Amino acid sequence: MPVAETIAVGQELPSLQKEPTQRRIDVYSGVRPRSIHTDPSWAHAKGFRTTLAQGMMSTAYVSEMMTRLLGAGFVKGGTLSMAFIKPVYAGDRLTVHGVVKETRREGAGTRVVVEVWCQNQDGEKTAVGTASGLAPHPLAPHPTLSPEGRGF
Amino acid sequence: MTEFPKLTYETLTVGEEFVSDTHLVTPEDIEAYAFAVEDDHPWFSGPSPFGGPVAHPTLMANQALLLRHGKYIVHAGLHARMEFNFLEPVRPGMRVRSRGRVIDKYERRGRQYMVTEYVTEDERGAPLVRGQFTQMLIPEGTRHAGR
Repeated sequence: MPVAETIAVGQELPSLQKEPTQRRIDVYSGVRPRSIHTDPSWAHAKGFRTTLAQGMMSTAYVSEMMTRLLGAGFVKGGTLSMAFIKPVYAGDRLTVHGVVKETRREGAGTRVVVEVWCQNQDGEKTAVGTASGLAPHPLAPHPTLSPEGRGF
Repeated sequence: MTEFPKLTYETLTVGEEFVSDTHLVTPEDIEAYAFAVEDDHPWFSGPSPFGGPVAHPTLMANQALLLRHGKYIVHAGLHARMEFNFLEPVRPGMRVRSRGRVIDKYERRGRQYMVTEYVTEDERGAPLVRGQFTQMLIPEGTRHAGR
């Protein structure tokens, strides 16, 4: 799974579609009574319309997107920081987005910093943050998104 | 014998430490996690650049997040922020544990938060993941507005 030779600031990563069903939440969180993730009556009692996916599931989605982009350079050497700003409910449909924010030399490679967010089916952002990882080589300028290529 | 007091903002102390039990990472753990997050990357079950299968980078995050449950009865909470630094891949067959320390607690807009820094280590004590997380406490007898 080679890392792309050209990654440019402003480049949009292929988005991911995710559907955290109750069954997937159950597997992720473990089924327990008195849990806002797996006990609907407890979630209601705590003020939510139904059970919630753990925020951490969104970090896993972003992790997948970054591993697709950078491979081993995310698994070892990656960073991820996210704030969970709206609940994700069981059955929501999320789209995971990323836009390259910065590239900088680090050792023999390049650290690629990506602005990331998850958005629900109503267009509301549910989690926002930043992820980074190491491309194993200096990155070549992107043919269309490099500063030289923006003049059209 | 461990006693489990109820976790409240008042009893929580900045500087207090948590440690998890050791967990053997199994291929089944990795498979179940892949199902839960809809990610069946081939490295989870076959060759990888690390010489064999590796786990999803965030596999052990719940071990860290649930550290406080090893010491307290937690009424309810919400996860507000999470930070990871992935230092080495988690692999099947490793025995891993997480250690954490409360580094801050604060109240904002009528809500109570705690901040924990953590490290997840292999059986030799080598760090695999470092980071910190912020959790909101939902006190007993209250409801969260459900943002």
